[in-house]
Amino acid sequence: MAIFRLQSSRVLAVDLDGEAVKAKKGAMVAYDGEMTFKKMTGGGEGLRGLVTRRITGEAMAVMEVRGRGTCWFADRATEINLVRLTGDKLHVEASNLLVTEPALRTGTSFTGLRGASQGNGLFTTTVEGTGQAAIMSDGPAIVLRVTQGTPLVVDPGAYVAHTGDLRQQLRSSVGLRTLIGEGSGESFQIHFEGEGLVYVQPSERNTIGGQI
Amino acid sequence: MTHPEGPVVHDPHTLPVNDNVNPYAFCVDLDGQWFLQKGKMIAYYGQVDFHAIGHGPLDHLVAANFHSPLHATAWVVAQGRGKMLLADRAYDINSYDLDDGNLTIRSGNLLAFQPGLALKQSIIPGFLTLIGTGKFVAASNGAVHFVEPPIRVDPQALVGWADCPSPCHHYDHAYLRGVLGGIRALTGIGGASGEEHQFEFTGSGQVLLQSTEELMGATDTGGVPATAGPGVPGAGV
Repeated sequence: MAIFRLQSSRVLAVDLDGEAVKAKKGAMVAYDGEMTFKKMTGGGEGLRGLVTRRITGEAMAVMEVRGRGTCWFADRATEINLVRLTGDKLHVEASNLLVTEPALRTGTSFTGLRGASQGNGLFTTTVEGTGQAAIMSDGPAIVLRVTQGTPLVVDPGAYVAHTGDLRQQLRSSVGLRTLIGEGSGESFQIHFEGEGLVYVQPSERNTIGGQI
Repeated sequence: MTHPEGPVVHDPHTLPVNDNVNPYAFCVDLDGQWFLQKGKMIAYYGQVDFHAIGHGPLDHLVAANFHSPLHATAWVVAQGRGKMLLADRAYDINSYDLDDGNLTIRSGNLLAFQPGLALKQSIIPGFLTLIGTGKFVAASNGAVHFVEPPIRVDPQALVGWADCPSPCHHYDHAYLRGVLGGIRALTGIGGASGEEHQFEFTGSGQVLLQSTEELMGATDTGGVPATAGPGVPGAGV
């Protein structure tokens, strides 16, 4: 079984003993032992996955890393967060996904307007199954719990990922005042309701709605 | 669902009260109003509304606490009740308490402040002054250090200062002396170390420095109104 450990907050070490992990293409920074790196077309989801990803724009350049030894991964010094899944589903942007265990299935799902407001397209990547995944964020991610009594509101630019049974809804408060240049800067927000965890980063991506 | 080896999971009850969640994010326990720079809210629990400064239901509050018309479009008022997280491009974030004091800070570094403080535009272009009692939140590129005057600081490392007189420019005179120095001073030829110009602080108070010389991308501060007339620094530029 692949063992994920954070060498530091920005470098992930994965111990492999003959098995394989899926990693973002080009994210390997060092390894010892014997490793092979194989490009996986279409995120390793077969022909159907390849076509889906092409159509949805949720392109994911993935490689399969197989071998014995330790492989270190990092990407542009962004912070790395480990997520352990036990049968639940992780929603994350393809660009924020670093490494997944082979037992995890990846796919795409429709997110609706939220994706559009983030400038990330209308689709997001899902990771399902049991195992560990490493996701990236600009600054260490903060994990916020959502329960029935405590819904959460997140800025689209700070959203990284979420797990659990959550309903999300994009809300906007664009009014007449926004049009005359007096927007609040927080006009677009994602409301999360249900039970689950939301990962936010202490930084905002440039979004279409961010400055309104 | 527990994550024994995973990250800390926060909920509205475990989030800190007016304190840092980690070095890059700050949690405001909102019960009333706070002034925020636009776009620095990353998430919140509870019921919070964001109002642009200008016209609106908060005219009275704005009139009492916000005296920087040049910055008005860069600020909003958060009103309501809940826990609100603030962050800025993954920069270091710190909160400070002012007790009937005054503090001047680079406009791009200030993220948020309590209405107990009044925000005024400093006559030094690009700086804001906070006067009164309350808490404010500021970002810096690297951790903030407090030093006491007399001190000369690198212009790019300066975040702000409290209680002491405004700084003056200081040029390394020895470097610009003599024939060679004259040529350097006049033409810029001959190389500069990049450290012959500093800000000089005197008097008693505190100077805040960040640990890099990379300025944070400041929001446009706008200009002094054209009607300001002669004698106002920055007017007529």
